[in-house]
Amino acid sequence: MKHLPKHLRPRWRYLAVELETWPDERIGRRSFQRELWYAGQNLLGDPGSADAELSVVRFGFADGRGEAIVKARRGETEPARAALACIDEIDGAAVGLRVRGISGTIRAAEENYLGRDGQDSGERNVVFGNEERVAVLRDGVGDVRLDEAFVGATDLDYDLM
Amino acid sequence: MYEAVHAHPDGQSTVARFAKTAADYGYEGVVVRNHDDARATYDPERIREEYGIDVVEGVEIRADDPQQASGSVGNYRTSETIVGIHGGTTALNRFAVEQAKVDVLAHPMTGNGDVNHVLTKAAVENGVRLEFDLSGVLRESGGRRVRILQSLRKLREIVDHYDAPYVVSAEPTSHLELRAPRELRALGERIGLSGAFVDDGLAEWGRLAERNRRVDSESFIEPGVQRGRYEEEP
Repeated sequence: MKHLPKHLRPRWRYLAVELETWPDERIGRRSFQRELWYAGQNLLGDPGSADAELSVVRFGFADGRGEAIVKARRGETEPARAALACIDEIDGAAVGLRVRGISGTIRAAEENYLGRDGQDSGERNVVFGNEERVAVLRDGVGDVRLDEAFVGATDLDYDLM
Repeated sequence: MYEAVHAHPDGQSTVARFAKTAADYGYEGVVVRNHDDARATYDPERIREEYGIDVVEGVEIRADDPQQASGSVGNYRTSETIVGIHGGTTALNRFAVEQAKVDVLAHPMTGNGDVNHVLTKAAVENGVRLEFDLSGVLRESGGRRVRILQSLRKLREIVDHYDAPYVVSAEPTSHLELRAPRELRALGERIGLSGAFVDDGLAEWGRLAERNRRVDSESFIEPGVQRGRYEEEP
């Protein structure tokens, strides 16, 4: 079909989203998209999610940190933000999520809001709560591995060995 | 705007990690609201300096009955800036709103808890903030979330009618569960709490902390009594 004239095409807004999980988790683009649709549908309902038309257009994830760009219709960015806030798990992995900013183009969203922390993480032995533990450190923060779970900490909480 | 958090060992992140993340997210402070059986050890001064965010010492008292809660309130009132009661049962909700020493009645609608006009009037009289707990909206789904939304709506209608004091929190137990103020505001808009209402509820933690710190400070004598200007000795 012939594509629409410019003034009839939908206007989009691009939400630059930052993702975080515990260091041993992995999440993929498809599962993020699925959770986004579920969150949209659960919170906004079918009409609301049809209005917002949430879709993931860029996605990258490595070492417990990720970045994504989510497309939403102009004027529906606040519902999109609310739906994003309700994503708490992806494939059973707890995620922290935050909208860093909203732009009118993918490029502007990437340039202005994403790709800031490129610092690599590394495992180190630390002393946390008077016990020796392994922690995954990055950029002033670290996730300390306890027996079963991680504890989110920062450089103030442990001593490097 | 402030967020009230459950830090390690009550939650999964330390106070410092919460403070750092909250500072990135645009909060002005965090209130440490660990339950009284899982207190955190931290140095608020140092965290404040390091991350440029206010850290308020608080406690959420979890008790089986009002007698026990009453003892804990007496114990913690002098040492903690913000004292909350872990609500959710009729007896404890009632105890909290009738006790002027309590600052916050946390999640009054969870479990078997309920709030009515009598409790709300008592809360207004004693200045006890009722909490709007958004954690269920953020982290539950299906029928349970519907019930939580219903209870929040009921609470909002009563609070609006009596103009009762309130706070809003997402009750994060790890830095991953923290959500930025703008996200909470957007969520509030969807579930019938206006954006301004959510902002106000988040800011209320800060006002509460400021008031209690003033009352606890050396210069405070008694309500309504102030140090005046004295004539200098000639």
